[in-house]
Amino acid sequence: MIDVLQINPGLWMIFAGMVCALVPKGEAFAHIRKAFVIMVPIFAAFMIFQINSGQEVLAGKIELGGLSLTTLRIDSLSLVWGYLFCLISVLNGIYGFHEKCRITDSSALIYAGAAIAGVFAGDLLTLFLFWELTAISSVFLIWKGGERAYGAGIRYLAIHVLSGVILLAGAAIYGQSTGGDYSFNYIGVENPGGILILIAIGIKCGFPLMHMWMQDAYPKASITGTVILSAFTTKMAIYALARGYVGTDILIYIGAIMTCFPVFFAVIENDMRRVLAYSLNNQLGFMVCGIGIGTEMALNGVVGQVFVHVIFKSLLFMSMGAVLYRVGTTKASELGGLFRSMPITAVFCLIGAGSIAAFPLMAAFVTKSMIISSVVYAAEAQGSLWVIVGMLLFASAGVMEHSGIKVPYFTFFSHDSGRRVKEAPWNMLVAMGLASLLCIVVAFPFGGYQMLYDMMPYVVDYHPYTVDHVVFQFQLLFAAITSFCVLKRFGIYPAEKRAEILDADWSYRRLGMTIVSWISAMWTRLASGVKGLRAKLLDNLGQRLYQIFSPAGAMSDAAPSGLSALLTAGMLVLTLIIMYVVM
Amino acid sequence: MAKTPKNKVVDMHSAPHNEEAPDYSDIHPFAVPFLFLGRKSVIENFIWLPLIGMFIMIILGVVYPPYHPAPWDVIPGSWAIIGYVAYTIIVLSARPLFSLLARSEDYYGEGGLPDPEYSTEHAEGSHD
Repeated sequence: MIDVLQINPGLWMIFAGMVCALVPKGEAFAHIRKAFVIMVPIFAAFMIFQINSGQEVLAGKIELGGLSLTTLRIDSLSLVWGYLFCLISVLNGIYGFHEKCRITDSSALIYAGAAIAGVFAGDLLTLFLFWELTAISSVFLIWKGGERAYGAGIRYLAIHVLSGVILLAGAAIYGQSTGGDYSFNYIGVENPGGILILIAIGIKCGFPLMHMWMQDAYPKASITGTVILSAFTTKMAIYALARGYVGTDILIYIGAIMTCFPVFFAVIENDMRRVLAYSLNNQLGFMVCGIGIGTEMALNGVVGQVFVHVIFKSLLFMSMGAVLYRVGTTKASELGGLFRSMPITAVFCLIGAGSIAAFPLMAAFVTKSMIISSVVYAAEAQGSLWVIVGMLLFASAGVMEHSGIKVPYFTFFSHDSGRRVKEAPWNMLVAMGLASLLCIVVAFPFGGYQMLYDMMPYVVDYHPYTVDHVVFQFQLLFAAITSFCVLKRFGIYPAEKRAEILDADWSYRRLGMTIVSWISAMWTRLASGVKGLRAKLLDNLGQRLYQIFSPAGAMSDAAPSGLSALLTAGMLVLTLIIMYVVM
Repeated sequence: MAKTPKNKVVDMHSAPHNEEAPDYSDIHPFAVPFLFLGRKSVIENFIWLPLIGMFIMIILGVVYPPYHPAPWDVIPGSWAIIGYVAYTIIVLSARPLFSLLARSEDYYGEGGLPDPEYSTEHAEGSHD
């Protein structure tokens, strides 16, 4: 008998999403859906709260085909993700309140529910199930971006389903090596199954060269869709890494590369939502690097960074969504001076920008400092890691460039584009206001960041607001802003231009498609050639047979009687031999 | 500049009204007090703010050195140098990278990213 109070809380949201899909169209029913979208995550958070006992909870055990599944595991690590996903679902629900879209509402609930259920999965097979459900449910948010988003949605779905298939293959191999134990605990890269699972997770969290689905799909999704998408998939993957690969050295290097390469694409990208997608990739790099370091302090930093990142990244996507809603574009070349029309959105965007750039008193200052400090401590023991520290500092300046300066400056300041629009709708402002408040509260020196510490999986002994931390962080940030001002003043900072920037997806969208088209064309030509050859051969054969056996053919000619007698005798001999052998 | 003769009587009622109050009708009321941010002089002189801040922080950094110094922290203002150089490298890389990687917006034949003519605001309510 299943105890309904002990089922995976994500399932409640998935169920609510399915109900939403059945709610009829119409204004009155839209409000019912909206109530679902906002209230059900609160209910799910309550369910998490009542299940959580402070100890590890393992429940929802199912025997299926000889496999033992644990569909619910709540512990100090998964708990943070669970609450965070509920919190951001509520904010997203408020943000999308104006949008009367049944598909978005039901997708958002099922997607968020699948992500919550995924992080509470106690075994790899349950994880696989919800891993795939996040992909299938979220693709509708991309397709709601319109016709232009169709191809991106298909690619997104294909890549994520592939990730799930690799995860399943890895889980099967890993389960074999552990004697049928599919528990989702530390996995490591010591066996092939573990490597496959790491690749699957790597696709979802945007490892270098596996990242392009993010920059392809997110900017093309609907306004609300992009905000929702930015919160769950990648963070679910970070959870899986933190659960299964903590302390895996290769993650340090992968993470460091992830922090650096997106900044070069972000600086030349014109579309602000795509800039933020690159920025998201860059922020994930800090988390991956922290997981690779694997110390208690690094993991605390990662957990804290995930928490604040979801909030400030959503805030930035929300602000650009509001601009898209009012102006119709987020291309930097078309924007500028919008603080005159949308001052409240501009302030919220600046708070998000300050938070991601890790200004003291703003969200990421505490958590990013923890991650970088953990790498510094590791470098004191292992000198080669100073290179990683340098890369993280370089990337911090990069964050200041694309998210700290570029996004707010070219949207709300810079030259006046002359666009005069209305301020964002009230519900968007409320959602952005709450996110902004959280960005400040969780970094507040007196009782603020301590709340964040309370959520971390290990006891924290780290003081972010020491003089040296604040001073050196300000050095970095002020220097970056000074550089921007100098480059702008001397006309060196490049103008924003409309363009499609090629990235790794060129390999399958252009090169791959070209190769496939070439193979297809060659196949068509080959098939056509073979068909012609076959027709020619059959034609020739037919002609030959006709020449021999037709009434006018060679066999119809009158043969001499002697030859006929000889042939008949030959046939008789042959028949006798066969009969002798057979009988 | 032509001066008004002292003995000439200026008819104030017929004089053109050059000191009209600026028209803020298309500006959000909350933005009006901050319109000075768009002035050229403010934009040009903004640089002093981070510059002075940076120098103050460099001096403070000498007074309060880091508890866990990196090898480069022997140089005063090392983080400022890293921040400045990194930022400059990133921006300077933009031109060559753009030349190398930029293509037309419809390069992939999917219509690029949303434009003003494709405003989802105008499609409000039609998503059901």
